[in-house]
Amino acid sequence: MKKIGNYFKDFGQAVVHGDIWVKLSLVIMGAGYFGRKQFVRGILMTLLEVGVLASIFGVFAPYLSKLNTLGTVQREEVFDIVTMKKTVNDYDNSLLILLYGIIAILVIIAFIVLYLQNIKAVYRIQKMSENGEHINNIKDDIASFKNERFHITLLTLPSIGVILINIIPILFMVCIAFTNYDENHQPPSYLFTWVGFKNFVNLFTTSQTITFGYAFIRVLIWTLVWAVLATATTFLGGILLAQFINHEDTKFKGMWRTLFVITIGIPQFVTLLLISKMFGDNGIVNTFCSNVGILDFFKNIGLLNAGDACIPFLSRPIWAHITIILVNIWVGIPYQMLVATGILMNIPSDQIESAKIDGANKFQIFWKITMPYVMFITGPSLIQSVIGNINNFNVIYLLTYNYQTTNMAMANSHANEVDLLITWLFRLTNEYSNFKMASVIGIVTFVVCAALSLLTFSRMIGGDKEGVYR
Amino acid sequence: MKKTWKIVGRHIFLAVLAFIWLIPIFWLVVTTFSVEKGINTNHFFPEQWTLANYHQLFFEPDAAANFPAWFKNSMIIGVFSCLVSSIFVIMTAYAFSFIEFKGRKKLMSFSLILGMFPGVLSMIAMYFILKMLGLTDSVVGLIILYSGASGLGYLILKGFFDTIPTSLHEAAKLEGASEATIFAKIVVPLSKPMIVYTVINSFLNPWMDFVMVRLMIKSKDAADWTMALGLFNLLQRALVNQYFAYFCCGGLMIAVPISILFIIMQKFYVEGVTGGAVKG
Amino acid sequence: MKKKIVSALLVSTMVATAFAGCGSKAEETTDTAATESTDASAEDSSTDDAIANLIAATEGTVNIDLWCSETEEYQTVMKKLCDDFAAQYPDVDFNITLGAVSEADMKDRVLEDVEAAADVFVFPDDQLEALVKAGALNEVAAQYTYDMNETDTEATVEAGQYDGKQYGYPFTASNGYFLYYDKNQLSDEDVASWEALTAKAEELGKEVGCEIANGWYLYGFFQGAGCTLTENEDQSNNCDWNNETGLAAAESLQTITSSKAFKAYGNDDLLANLNDGKVAAYVSGTWNVNAFSEAYGDGYAATKLPTFKVNGEDKQMASYSGYKFVGVNAYAENTGWSMLLAEYLTNAASQEAVYEATGEGPSNTEALAKASSPALDALAAQSEFAQLQRVGGNYWTPAESLGKNILDGKVSQKVLDDAVAGITQPVE
Repeated sequence: MKKIGNYFKDFGQAVVHGDIWVKLSLVIMGAGYFGRKQFVRGILMTLLEVGVLASIFGVFAPYLSKLNTLGTVQREEVFDIVTMKKTVNDYDNSLLILLYGIIAILVIIAFIVLYLQNIKAVYRIQKMSENGEHINNIKDDIASFKNERFHITLLTLPSIGVILINIIPILFMVCIAFTNYDENHQPPSYLFTWVGFKNFVNLFTTSQTITFGYAFIRVLIWTLVWAVLATATTFLGGILLAQFINHEDTKFKGMWRTLFVITIGIPQFVTLLLISKMFGDNGIVNTFCSNVGILDFFKNIGLLNAGDACIPFLSRPIWAHITIILVNIWVGIPYQMLVATGILMNIPSDQIESAKIDGANKFQIFWKITMPYVMFITGPSLIQSVIGNINNFNVIYLLTYNYQTTNMAMANSHANEVDLLITWLFRLTNEYSNFKMASVIGIVTFVVCAALSLLTFSRMIGGDKEGVYR
Repeated sequence: MKKTWKIVGRHIFLAVLAFIWLIPIFWLVVTTFSVEKGINTNHFFPEQWTLANYHQLFFEPDAAANFPAWFKNSMIIGVFSCLVSSIFVIMTAYAFSFIEFKGRKKLMSFSLILGMFPGVLSMIAMYFILKMLGLTDSVVGLIILYSGASGLGYLILKGFFDTIPTSLHEAAKLEGASEATIFAKIVVPLSKPMIVYTVINSFLNPWMDFVMVRLMIKSKDAADWTMALGLFNLLQRALVNQYFAYFCCGGLMIAVPISILFIIMQKFYVEGVTGGAVKG
Repeated sequence: MKKKIVSALLVSTMVATAFAGCGSKAEETTDTAATESTDASAEDSSTDDAIANLIAATEGTVNIDLWCSETEEYQTVMKKLCDDFAAQYPDVDFNITLGAVSEADMKDRVLEDVEAAADVFVFPDDQLEALVKAGALNEVAAQYTYDMNETDTEATVEAGQYDGKQYGYPFTASNGYFLYYDKNQLSDEDVASWEALTAKAEELGKEVGCEIANGWYLYGFFQGAGCTLTENEDQSNNCDWNNETGLAAAESLQTITSSKAFKAYGNDDLLANLNDGKVAAYVSGTWNVNAFSEAYGDGYAATKLPTFKVNGEDKQMASYSGYKFVGVNAYAENTGWSMLLAEYLTNAASQEAVYEATGEGPSNTEALAKASSPALDALAAQSEFAQLQRVGGNYWTPAESLGKNILDGKVSQKVLDDAVAGITQPVE
């Protein structure tokens, strides 16, 4: 609070104590620079001001004004059967109103901040010139972007990309959760509008007709179990495999590595689809198992009922869950092995040497030196990979896209036992156009991820571990 | 003697593992030679062998399948997104690792949080943003889409940069090098293995994506599609029975550039060993 | 309705020609024709006039996107029809682009962004409701080159309506399902009932079946047994499958599916096993006609769906009758030309061409009379037990799950109660 107070206090002081150039900058943002002969800066700043204001009033204003209702005029068309032409009224598109409205708000906020900063900067320059200090010319400015402001040079473009591709869409979808955007309210032909927290209430409701609450809990649990298991198994497996291949006794290291990496080379949607066919109820693996007698063996030990015609690798809960984890190991280990190989080769060899001299055995070296080192480098990315697995669409969707649930309560909310939150919301949007519930699920997924990582990551990058290996 | 057995055992173990890993790939390869064009779930090996599928793949584009065009489109998109996103990742990682600027930790935390939002959900909004910019159905639009948010994936590389001694950085500064020079002349060359990893990853993402591209490319002319989109489309109910062998051929061919990429890049991994020179 | 349109056309034609002193030659000639000719030809000429007006009002290239099935046969025949259409109007410069979109996904692809979707597209009747609800379909307000009420079967025209308005141009009428079988292995008695069919197949060591875990097929059993499933105004469903008859039907179905010979393959698995010679009879539709005729050779045959026993009584299995329509996008760039193209693609000659290329049965009575094949005859035999598909979106997932329960042998009153609760859940 106090910080914000100071922020505006500085601004007020700048306005009050500033000279004519500073005051002129309140209207023409470049004026303050012209006064100190910083012409390039002045021109750029003024152009920016004109551009932003023009876009706000020229493009965004009509959308912004309708943001509170998301539009009121529904599309109406009249077809003239004689001229065979169609006339359409000037209708509102809720989707565009929301999207442009969000962008407009972002632009306005950014502009206000820039405006305030600008006055302060101009005032600072005024003071500097009063004190007779050196004022940067354009050459100095450019040079500063290679040195003390190098981070700005580095981060500007990536940040713009992130805002465009990441932040705006996220804000947009968060807003959708508070609207009634579903198959009965689809723009451009129909309007949707704000409904408050109704959709969130639905998600946690369980009744005979609304089963979202029931399905949600089950999907959430499986999502978390999956994310932890998938990450742990592939991470450990990858390191062990990399260690194994890097071992001094292993010949043809490159060949072994290549053999595993080939599986990365072929896209997941090809390999996973093949695997889902192989493990299907009528797939090769089942044919093989019943020929060899594994099917009967499973029946004898009670894993399957006597009436089952096949091993339900991907078509029954538990069986499918286990198959998915195993297949994911198949998918994930080569990736992890690659990462681990790169890292393992950079392990400070002096540490290992000295540990050997101290008489440490291989396991001790692995757990005491290798693992901490690997954890240090990949630790933060490990949380990311748990989060990545929570959002791992490919493996689950491609393996189980034709999974059919026998659980009626699940089916009634279009979910099934092997769904992650992400695949569930994908099908809700893609097949049922239920964007509002999908958004709610998306937000919940996000909250889960954020909570998980808050617990751990503050220690990873928040602590002062960054310098340990320097 | 015991040692020899151990080594042999080690290799047998690796061979078994590799065999398991390669079974599906092997099935893929033999299916490409199948006379039967649909999926056959009952046999591992095709009943009759042919090379016709490859001929169809390369020389007989039709309304549903146009592999040469797909390959070209995917290659262009892949290479450019890979360039842009690798640069973004390297820049972001360097800024966060070496430069102590105001708000650095806050920005890092913020970027981590951003990465947690399910991307599948924001696709619709991305589509309309591209539409607003007039970039749907264009290669440029897809490149922006794939590389735009790549800056968020800086963590692994930053982890690696963090192991480069600050003394090196400081020494260079004392000699009057600017941050830009240190970045380009010292840090980047030192980090080749991890940069290679970054590059491969940035290439794989657009090369293999089929979810996003399905929404973003509206054209229904097969010549405008990317490889992943086109191949995935062949699995539609109406087509899979005609094109499964074609699909397998295509899948195998996708793997070729990746494999080549990896074989070339592999020496960098090995060089990673001499990367120990950094410490010296 | 038709008369009203025609008179409206006539009046406005007069007005138009009166105002347009410098009208084109075509207009003048049709004008005289309209005043001199009898009522019947006046109809033609007035619609011709609307077209002539359209030609006169058209400037530059007319771009039309057309999306239809991605199969080679479809693409080829549609391309040819589009070229023929363009050749009909030599004064207009057309640029008709064909797109390959799976018909099963047409609704999803169109609704992703209606404004960017094709101007004209082919879709199956079960997507009509969703497309209309999203405002994606242009109403067929008038017809210019033929009148579907006179040329097409009543059932097809009706299936293209929603809320009393016509939205689809009838295209094919053969999108339903029936039974394919190998007559070298199975006799007429064998294919008459599921009980006989499974018994014979077990004896032969072959497979027969139907994709039970799919609401589209599952409907046939419950409807056949005498249960009802209807749609309300608000798109929720009425369903009584959990009554005594429903339970008896489900149990009977469970007995049938428990046979070793009964398989509930999805399409991929079906085709793989068909090619291996394992499948002797299966419930499917015209989209698989080539696969079945190749696999069975001279034994290739098709018939209506079998009966099955409910409470000891033989009940004829019902089915959904399926149709395909050509639709015009409500956001089409050139609504007039798109409508004319849609009409052209669905007229008698085009339907005949499509039948010859793809084997799909025409909805046009004239074209239908010329079409004959085992598959189409089987559909005709099944047609008296087939219903128009009118069901709300909440039906499919619970029905799929119910089918899976039946296959797993888990039928109980509770399962049916839950399924009905899901199927009938209210729509907000």
